[in-house]
Amino acid sequence: MSSPIELAIFKSAFHSIAEEMGAALRRTAFSPNIKERRDYSSAIFDAAGQVIAMGDDMPVHLGSMPMSVRAALNRLTLVPDDVAMLNDPYEGGTHLPDITLVMPVFAGSSSALFFVANRAHHADIGGMYPGSMGLCREIFQEGIRIPPVKLVSNGVMNDDIVRLLLSNVRTSAEREGDLTAQLGACRIGEERVRSLVNKYGRERVSANATALLDHSEQLLRAEIAEWPAGNVTAEDFLDNDGLSEEPIRIAVTLAVDPIARTLRVDFTGSALQIATGLNAVSAITYSALFYVLRCLLPREAAPTAGLMRPVELILPERSIVNAAAPAAVAGGNVETSQRIVDTLLLAFSQLLPDRIPAASSGTMSNLTIGGIDARSGQPFAYYETIAGGMGARPDADGIDGIHTHMTNSLNTPVEALEYAYPFRVRRYSYRRGSGGAGRQRGGDGLVREIELLCPAQVTLLSDRRIRPPYGLAGGLPGACGRNLLNGEAVPGKCNLQVEAGATIRIETPGGGGWGHEQ
Amino acid sequence: MRIAIDTGGTFTDCVYYAEGHLQVLKLPSTPSDPGGALRQAVQQVGNATGTNEVRHGTTVGTNALLERKGARVAFVTTAGFEDTLAIGRQARPELYNLLYQAPPPLVPAPLRFGVAERTASDGSILLQPDAAELERLRKAIAAAKPEAIAVSLLFSFANPANELAVADELVKLGLPLSISHQILPEFREYERGSTTAINAYLSPKMQGYLAGLDPGLLVMQSSGGIVEAPIAAREPVRTILSGPAGGVVGALAIAKRAGYDRVLTFDMGGTSTDVALLDTARGLTTTTESLVMNMPVAVPMLNIYTVGAGGGSLADFDRGGAMRVGPESAGADPGPICYGRGTKPTVTDANLLLGRLDASGLLGGGLALDRQRTHLFTEEAKGSLPTVEAFAEGVVQVVNAHMEQALRKISIEQGFDPREFVLLSFGGAGPLHACALARALNIPKVLVPTLPGALSAYGILVSDTVRDYSRTVMSKADDSALPQHFSSLIREAKKDFSGGEIQCSADMRYRGQGYELTVAWGHNAVEQFHLEHERRYGYADRTRIVDVVNIRVRLTRRSELLEQPPRPKEEAGNGAQAMTALRSVYEEGQWRQATVYQRDLLRTGDAFPGPAVIDEYSATTFLPSRCSLSVDPWMNLEIDVNE
Repeated sequence: MSSPIELAIFKSAFHSIAEEMGAALRRTAFSPNIKERRDYSSAIFDAAGQVIAMGDDMPVHLGSMPMSVRAALNRLTLVPDDVAMLNDPYEGGTHLPDITLVMPVFAGSSSALFFVANRAHHADIGGMYPGSMGLCREIFQEGIRIPPVKLVSNGVMNDDIVRLLLSNVRTSAEREGDLTAQLGACRIGEERVRSLVNKYGRERVSANATALLDHSEQLLRAEIAEWPAGNVTAEDFLDNDGLSEEPIRIAVTLAVDPIARTLRVDFTGSALQIATGLNAVSAITYSALFYVLRCLLPREAAPTAGLMRPVELILPERSIVNAAAPAAVAGGNVETSQRIVDTLLLAFSQLLPDRIPAASSGTMSNLTIGGIDARSGQPFAYYETIAGGMGARPDADGIDGIHTHMTNSLNTPVEALEYAYPFRVRRYSYRRGSGGAGRQRGGDGLVREIELLCPAQVTLLSDRRIRPPYGLAGGLPGACGRNLLNGEAVPGKCNLQVEAGATIRIETPGGGGWGHEQ
Repeated sequence: MRIAIDTGGTFTDCVYYAEGHLQVLKLPSTPSDPGGALRQAVQQVGNATGTNEVRHGTTVGTNALLERKGARVAFVTTAGFEDTLAIGRQARPELYNLLYQAPPPLVPAPLRFGVAERTASDGSILLQPDAAELERLRKAIAAAKPEAIAVSLLFSFANPANELAVADELVKLGLPLSISHQILPEFREYERGSTTAINAYLSPKMQGYLAGLDPGLLVMQSSGGIVEAPIAAREPVRTILSGPAGGVVGALAIAKRAGYDRVLTFDMGGTSTDVALLDTARGLTTTTESLVMNMPVAVPMLNIYTVGAGGGSLADFDRGGAMRVGPESAGADPGPICYGRGTKPTVTDANLLLGRLDASGLLGGGLALDRQRTHLFTEEAKGSLPTVEAFAEGVVQVVNAHMEQALRKISIEQGFDPREFVLLSFGGAGPLHACALARALNIPKVLVPTLPGALSAYGILVSDTVRDYSRTVMSKADDSALPQHFSSLIREAKKDFSGGEIQCSADMRYRGQGYELTVAWGHNAVEQFHLEHERRYGYADRTRIVDVVNIRVRLTRRSELLEQPPRPKEEAGNGAQAMTALRSVYEEGQWRQATVYQRDLLRTGDAFPGPAVIDEYSATTFLPSRCSLSVDPWMNLEIDVNE
């Protein structure tokens, strides 16, 4: 039904719709997380809820978006002009600040032919800490939990649900604006897919969507066929859970069969789920694996659901990589996801030593600050992730101060920050000498130092403060990160009530080195 | 009498009016002495016509930036923020490329200097740089031996006092100085710093170049307006897209003369394709979000969108069996198969195999194409497709799909309906693909202008003199101080640039958003913003506070119109006098007989249906079946794209 030519044409068409949805969301959103940091994703799904196109947005959402669509379909019957909303990590979500909207595309058909969806990280979703990114003991403390519900029913906004949601978050006007932006982006996506169906006809568009799934599968199988056969294992650790000193183990075994062109990925041996919110739900682990595989494919490969067909993923129950309710999960998305990638890459480095970099910073160094802005009397919630050093590559140094792996969010310009929040930024620079030595040097981390101009609650969620990013092939590890309050060291994961005039300084880890230094 | 001279990589085009006709002079460029071709053109034309105004599009700035051959720049900023220029936005441009190589920053670490000073967002000075600090800075910079200096301190746009103090000290070094609040007084320190640093990077070269030319020269800016040479020498960052801007202005002028107010331009070259949307009612719309070589250039530039595919793009299959065209290009070496050295099929090869390009050659026969060789190599590359022709037609379809996405991006995604536009196609390969693209987007008409090879020079000839000024104000849209902000900006602008019409606009957003829409400033500006937001993003919220982030003032001195009178409509004809051959062309899966016309023999009023091929010196137009062409009074090819 499809041809090599049609495949190329439809791949381009679907991808540009997903990209357009993302651009519309970014340009109209209110949360710094969305507009400046681009912590959002857009995707298109076939009738069975399989992802057929995604924008080049946030890798951590890659594999987890399909679960949202499936959860919405399990729970709700969507009719034309409905929009479903959800954030429950145990029902299609990742962590609570990520709100996902799903909209069906009927295009005159009696059943939904396609779905469009987007997910965005809202600056606050309620719970114990401003910004909703602090370490909690159970999910009920992390914010409001939204199972799949109809935000829009037959084109009419469900005001009751909106009021319920807005009553439970700190910056409600901003939330409302972001939801409107997400809805606008969904409607654009729905309209574009509908006109694609009108232009080419239902059968042709559906056949090509199916062909795109097969195509991704073929690309990964062709790749696996060139890998060496056998089993490799690797382990890496998170520093701790923020309560005790106990490191948290993530272990993986890869089994490659280049003849059958299949891959088994088994996380058995990873730690059990923990008492604080570093637990990853299975969607996160799935995304991390999806990301690593996507990196091993040629750049034009489309990240569709077909990519995972040759892969068997084994996740131990109630573990750090597959948490069960009611475990807290806020940090699984941002911290544990990075460590899962580090562990997977360490395993792959044994199979493909010439293609895998040393460990990058391995943490998003999440900084959340909330309080009342004395200038306006209004509450504020600021959240930012701070980049670190990239791990050295077999043929090149790591890049300094750049986001790696599961995130690619932008920094907030200092001049935008000081307009919006009662802060004064004191320093934003490279952290010289923090990259690991080696034949190729790891990238340096960053230093970000902020003075608070009014009393505030500061939440730090960072890792690689105790266990550094690994080097490879004889390269040395990168330097551990450090967090300082008024010049005194504070833990990697903590919640601080600080006075006006306090200075918080974050020094992010450097990347590991590659090869013995000459 | 005025002439316009556009210096490109290979040719220097010079256009002027004489005896009621547009004259074109093409000279080889002189890359070792870029001013050489210009002086020669002025001499040749000037002697004959008594020229008193020379306008110029230059690639001196562009090339210095693209080839990284600019000045050794010292970058000065607030202490603690020296790395801003290198860190950028801390994100990577390629999400899934573990081996991504970052280009080195324009200013390396030893040339980045901090100064102990600080201004707050409200413009209050928190720390003034003292004399000792300034002296230390000056000596440190002198020791680093830079060729130019850029100064960009935090919040200098809110209060330039500290930046001026630094500038006063550094002026003693006698080097070209680029000061951020003068180049771009807008917030976002990385974007402002980058723009200022690029300005410094280009200034010695541009100053040297323009010093060797007539000081009365006018230079084309990336915004689509021209400006006096001394200003261009001071602010070279505004000239980076001098040439492409000329092309866009020329395209709009030609379309307007032919009776079209709304134009999508489609300029397809060898390795890349530029598209732009022009709407006469909106004037030339510019963007301040441009990236050049991945570095922000936040001065106004015409909104030209570039895709990395063109005639030289390579076609093959990925391992999953999908066809792939671009972004890899055969480049000049080895070039397409048909040029005699390449071995991998390109879009140009596909067009040759489909009979759309003449094997006897491009550039008036100066470059013969080897059809047999192309067939041979393509046979090996065609993969699972049954025939070489099916492969070639697929290549054209896939590259057209990329172009279609680019045109969608600048039209549908911005809230414009392409059906209301004419597709104006130029560049060597554009008119080969234009009709198919128009069909895909339901655009009813295609215009292939006369002189497609000198369109940029023509645009420079007809453009107005323009200066742009801006300032970040960050206030509510109903703030009573806004009119004063505008009048003070206008006052400042008029000190710098006399005469001209004044256009005021404002970058507005809902409070809390991160991106602005630029709206003409007037009593109903806020309502215009709501409407524009609705048009672009599908909704507006009139209950929300609207903020004005930046205010903008554009001064325009209109150029005297240089309209040649329309030629009288001649007798209707069928172009028979221009027919040179019959040739088989492949389209819609079959070979068809097409008529080949020589463009310079066509006459106004000639009309004929497709399939046909129209050859001219530097371009070829393919007229598919069911399309019909007529030659308008200005010798443009006007094509009805019937479906």
